[in-house]
Parts: sequence; structure tokens; C-alpha cells
Amino acid sequence: AVSTMWETEGLQTFGIVVVVCASLKLLHLLGLISFSEDSVEDELELSAVRHRPEALEQLEAQTRFSRKELQILYRGFKNECPSGVVNEDTFKEIYSQFFPQGDASTYAHFLFNAFDTDHNGSISFEDFVMGLSILLRGSVQEKLNWAFNLYDINKDGYITKEEMLDIIKSIYDMMGKCTYPILKEETPRQHVEIFFQKMDKNRDGVVTIDEFIDCCQNDENIMRSMQLFENVI
Amino acid sequence: MAAGVAAWLPFARAAAIGWMPVASAPMPPPPRDKRRGQDGLIILNVSGTRFQTWRNTLERYPDTLLGSTERDFFFHEETNEYFFDRDPDIFRHILNFYRTGKLHYPRHECISAYDEELAFFGIIPEIIGDCCYEEYKDRRRENVERIQDDEENDNNKDMVLPDMSFRETMWRAFENPHTSTMALVFYYVTGFFIAVSVMANVVETVPCGSGPNRAKEVSCGERYVLAFFCLDTACVMIFTVEYLLRLIAAPSRYKFVKSVMSIIDVVAIMPYYIGLVMTDNEDVSGAFVTLRVFRVFRIFKFSRHSAGLRILGYTLKSCASELGFLLFSLTMAIIIFATVMFYAEKGSSASKFTSIPAAFWYTIVTMTTLGYGDMVPKTIIGKVVGSVCSLSGVLVIALPVPVIVSNFSRIYHQSQRAEKRRAQKASKQTGQALVCKSNPTFETQHHHLLHCLEKTTNHEFVDEQTYETSCMEVSLAKPSMSRSSSLSSSPHGLSSCCTRRNKRKSFNVPNSYMADGRRSSIQELSTIQIRERPMSNSRSCLNAKFEETVHLNSEEQSYITAAVISMPTPPVTTPEGGDSASSPNFLQSNIVRVSAL
Repeated sequence: AVSTMWETEGLQTFGIVVVVCASLKLLHLLGLISFSEDSVEDELELSAVRHRPEALEQLEAQTRFSRKELQILYRGFKNECPSGVVNEDTFKEIYSQFFPQGDASTYAHFLFNAFDTDHNGSISFEDFVMGLSILLRGSVQEKLNWAFNLYDINKDGYITKEEMLDIIKSIYDMMGKCTYPILKEETPRQHVEIFFQKMDKNRDGVVTIDEFIDCCQNDENIMRSMQLFENVI
Repeated sequence: MAAGVAAWLPFARAAAIGWMPVASAPMPPPPRDKRRGQDGLIILNVSGTRFQTWRNTLERYPDTLLGSTERDFFFHEETNEYFFDRDPDIFRHILNFYRTGKLHYPRHECISAYDEELAFFGIIPEIIGDCCYEEYKDRRRENVERIQDDEENDNNKDMVLPDMSFRETMWRAFENPHTSTMALVFYYVTGFFIAVSVMANVVETVPCGSGPNRAKEVSCGERYVLAFFCLDTACVMIFTVEYLLRLIAAPSRYKFVKSVMSIIDVVAIMPYYIGLVMTDNEDVSGAFVTLRVFRVFRIFKFSRHSAGLRILGYTLKSCASELGFLLFSLTMAIIIFATVMFYAEKGSSASKFTSIPAAFWYTIVTMTTLGYGDMVPKTIIGKVVGSVCSLSGVLVIALPVPVIVSNFSRIYHQSQRAEKRRAQKASKQTGQALVCKSNPTFETQHHHLLHCLEKTTNHEFVDEQTYETSCMEVSLAKPSMSRSSSLSSSPHGLSSCCTRRNKRKSFNVPNSYMADGRRSSIQELSTIQIRERPMSNSRSCLNAKFEETVHLNSEEQSYITAAVISMPTPPVTTPEGGDSASSPNFLQSNIVRVSAL
């Protein structure tokens, strides 16, 4: 009768549903399909980078700091970066603390590249102390060399206007918004023009290391300001 | 980080050499470095336990005992160490403060012993780190309450401001009933009438014996029409008066009218007035009856009287997503099971499951485990599905309920804790203002670095207000030339422009713990302000700046700049001069001296 027909149909439907679920479960067991979204385990990046600097004697020989000065420097360094290296983000954070009213991250990025001489993405204590040695105890020639290296973003030996514009913009960024007179859009560009007029002797649009050092040595202001931080340590 | 950043200042200054070739102006001379004492180890003997640390570590906080010359009083020549006859266990935490910059409170220590040690070593407890601060304050409070028996904590809300207008007094009386007796009386009276009104609504419908016709049972409302009408009128009178008073007293009427409570009030009293207006018209009486349902909303007026009720309402509101999820999952389950049930029962004769919507009722009753029994499956499949339905119903309903419960508990405790924390924060900030942890040498050098940056870019740092005014002046520009005030004309001759060396408080040392509240006042002290364009005559600067940096050879004086600012309206000179005299008390760092001309 009709009722028995419907009952068998009901049973059949039920049976089909059970079979489908069982096959899905079987496939899941076999690993062919996955139900959860995040079945792939995340690879945790092990950030246990530890770096031990070279021996004190070696550093003493390589830099112009005395033993005591190196000790003081290392203690401060290790306090901030217990792992022994500074990566770019920490570096930016530390540097930005000195310029709270502006954005020091771009300039910190350039500085980071200037200190990270072997370009491995982190500054070890040796890089740090070598850089400081040049800046604080180096000859004027060496300091100017360092500055040139800082401005030459792609390290190709020439400072182009774009590179200079980036550097100058990053310095102006550190000033922040609230300045007097108010920072205008074209101020960095003008600054670059002035710089190039002074430095680019042969008007070829780039400044080479020799032009740079020559010009700086002839400028009394620059010479004097280079000696400014002699006794920082 | 703050304590350690000072160690990187030499690096930041060295890196400033990168600015030199592009600088557009000559650099300021560097501050004379006060020759620091040699960095040696200091031995601190605290009741026999020896601690050792670098001299520099201690000198980070020059306004504490160990960081200042006060420790010389404890120097013991024979053993060449500093001897303190104090508790070594607590001293460990104090020394760690110097090392890490964070002061922690050890939970197992007695609070009064800890306080004594802090007081002895000159450390203010407000600088305890956030991790331990709450615990510290809690213990301290418990201690105080134990010592003094009845100590009612000062509730901010009880503060009576000296001259509050009548309107404000009234509003405060409405919001906080325990502020005055009148308010309390009003509070209880309204509460009573709400209860009476609700009770009347309920009793109205109780059958009260047979009516005058002796035909059938009538409800009490129909028997004692007049009595109930009078009661209703009285209640509505009270509610209307209350609503109008609140409306008058509210500080922002628009906001009050939009608030939930006022809507409840209006909805509660509207039916009465509508009933008055409408005559006994047969057509609208049906609608009128519906309106009377709204009278039950009066019960919500109790939420003004009960904080717990408000929290419950807030919880439900905040759990809206969980409730929504519950509803959604229930709906899904109902549809699924009803469909299956319908098809399963289709075959059986005289089945009540005539359509899927008809099966909805069965599913809901089964899932909520009610089981009325008016619809029952007869086939085997139907019974199987029915049992699965009831089992899953229990689960689906039980799942979101704990979430809602925990939400309620969290919000309740949060409201308690928010009050506590607000009170603690107020005292914490006032305390922190008295602490200055900055190192003067660090200050000097940091300022010099910023000064170099200014010179490199040929722009100067100014503060927000001055920046905004100069922005405005730029837009105003020329037209203002015509106006001239007497004040501006004279100084024009003196100084073509005033100098501005504006050190914003915000970049004064990451180390310093100036509370926000003090910033503006300290700014006046520590800076030379005012810079304006010569054209503008909204303000004028009467004096030129002084800039004394290195040439001051005094020991403590570091990078100081002083100027006097005066505005066309009250000259600020005197207050500043007065302030500067008391600045050492606040700042305890001799960074700035403002000298009045």
C-alpha cells in the first residue's frame, strides 16, 4: 500500500544519508580531504639567534676604543639586545625614542644599512662598534667616507638626486609636523638642489666620492661640525 | 626600555654626523661634558648581604638615596663599602629597580615593611610597574582599612561642588539618590508607586466574584472601575511629574529624550493619556486594549533603582552576537529536523505532520525538551528522528548559555573593578608628578642632539598650539596687517622676531615620568615659548631670548634657555617666575631655570 511504500522510501533515504556520511569519514581518515581550515601546522620561526662578539683584544685592535670604553659600550648594547644582535625593527624602535615628535624610522633604516656593513640584516656588536669607531675616533676623511656611504643608498659609488631626496626627506620626517616655519612640500627638494649645487662640480647630476670629500674639506662649517662629537664616549 | 635607552644616546649622537654635510646652518656647540665619576663597582652591604653594582646604575635616579650624595652618609671607611642596616630581602627589589627601571612588589612581603623600605630609600611607590601595582594598592588599602575601623572611602560622586545651580543639584539628586534626603525620599516614593501601579495592573485581571448582574465572573478591574481608575491616575500623575522634572533638570535635554529610560517612561504613561483622549469608540477599543499592554513596561522603570538590572540589560546587549548565534543555529536545526520528520511521517495514516511548518511546532517543543505530546511520531523512522532531535536540542541550547553567563559575570566584575581602578589612577598620577627620573647629563646631550637636527633642517620644533596658530596665521596672512596694537609696535623695534626654542614636553626624555596633567605647566617652565611671525599682531613677544648653553659653568645647570613670554592679555611673567621658584620641588631636576627679566 501507499504507506508501506513511503516507509520504505523513508528507510531508503536514511540509508543513503548514512552511506554518504560514512564515505566522507573514510576519505577523511585516508587523508584525502580535510575538514578543518587550519590543518597545516604553522612553522614557528625559531628566533633563537645568539651572537657572541669577538674577543675584547681583537676588538681593541680593530677599533680605536680603549678596553674600558669597549666594556661600557658592550654592557649598554647587551642590556638592550640580550641576543647580541640588533635587527632592523629594534633598531628603528630605539632610534625613534630619541625623536618622539617625528618619524625617525626611514632615517633609521638608512642608518641601519650604513652600520650593517656585511648586509646580513642585523647589526652585531662588531658592526656597531666599528661604525662608532669611525664616527667618533676616525679621521675626517673616514668620517666623510662614512657619510658618503650613508647617502649612497644603493652603494654604487654615486649619489643621485633621488637618493639625496630620500635621505633629506627622512631627516625632515624626524622633525615631525609641528615646526617653525611650517614644512612645505618643496623644502626637501630645495635642500637637495642647494646640496647638489654645492657638491656637484662637473654638473653631471651625480656626486662622486671625490667631489664629495673635496667639497666638504673646503667647507669650513662642515669641517668644524665633524669634530663636534669627539668626546661623546 | 627607558633606562636602557640612555645607553644608546652616544650612538644616536655619533650617528648625527650623517646630517653634517647636508646641514644648512652651522651646528651649535656641544655641551660641556661634566666629567662623570669613574665607573666603578660599588659594594652595598645590607645587614651582611653584599650587593654590588656599577656606580652608573645607581646614578640613573639621582633623586633617590642611593643615587645621590646622601649615600655618602652610609659609607663605611674600614671596609670601603656602603653599609645599610635594613632588610636585605626587600633591598633586592629596590636594587632591581635601579637595574631594570621597574619596581616590583613581592607578594609575600608585608605591605608596611615594604612601604618603610621604599620611604627610607627615597623611592615613591607610584612608580611600581603595572604588573604589581594593582596588588600593591589592594594590599595597602586592606591594611589601612584594618587599622582604621570605620573609613568610608571618598566617593567622587559625593563631592559637592560649591556652587551648583539648582538645576544641577536636581539632576544630581535624580542620578544619585543617596546624596540628599529629599532625593532619597523621592527615590523611594517613585519606587513605591511603580510597584503599586504594576500590582494594580495585575490584580485588575483577577476574577473577583460575580458582577452586579450575577451573570458571570468579572475581573476586579471591571468591578471596581472607579477605584482602579483613581489609582491609575495617581500613578500616572506621579510618573508624569517625575518625567517632566527629569526633563527640566537634564544637562542635555536632547540626549535625555533619546535615552532608553526616558523612552520607557513615555511608553509607560502614554496609554493613560491616549485612553483619556479617546472616547469609548467601539472601533478603536480593540487597539486601546492593546495599548494597555504597554502599561506593563512600567516595570522596567525599576531598572533605575537596581544596578544589577542595568548590568543584565547591558549583558544581553553585549551578548547579542551569542544570542543571535543561538537563534540562528536553532532555526537551522528546526528546519532540518522538521523536514526530515515530515518526510518520515508522510506515510503514516492520520499523521499530524500535515506540512513542514506544522512540523516546526513539534521540533521546537522537542528540542527544548518540553514535549507537550500533542504531536507524536508513529513510524519507526519518525521515532528515530524524534530522539535524535531531542538529544541534539539539549546540546544546541546548552552551548551558548555558559558564554552568556560568563559574559554577565565578567561585566559585573568589570564594573566593580573600573570604579576601583579609576580611584587608584587618580592618586597614581598625582604621585608620579613628583618623581623625576631624568638624568641631567642625558637631558643636556639629548637637547643638543635635537638642536643639531633643527640646525640641519633649518626648521625648529614648536608645540602644537603654536603650530596651529601659525597655520592659521598663514591662512590669514596679509589682511591682518592693517590692525596694529600698541603692544606689537614697540617690541618690533626691540627684536625683529622672537626666538623660539620650543621644547615640547613630549620629547623631554623618555625617562621622565611627568604625568599628563603636569605637562602644560611644566612646558612653560622648561621652554621658551612663543614664536610668532612678525606680521601677526595677535601676540607679541617682549623679550629676546637668552640662550645659554655651555657657557654656564655651573655644575648642575645644563642646557637652559630662558625667555619671558607675554601676551596682550595677562602677562605670564610673574606666574612663571613664581613657578620657577617652586620648580625644583616638582621637577627635582635642575634642567630648567626660567629667569624673569
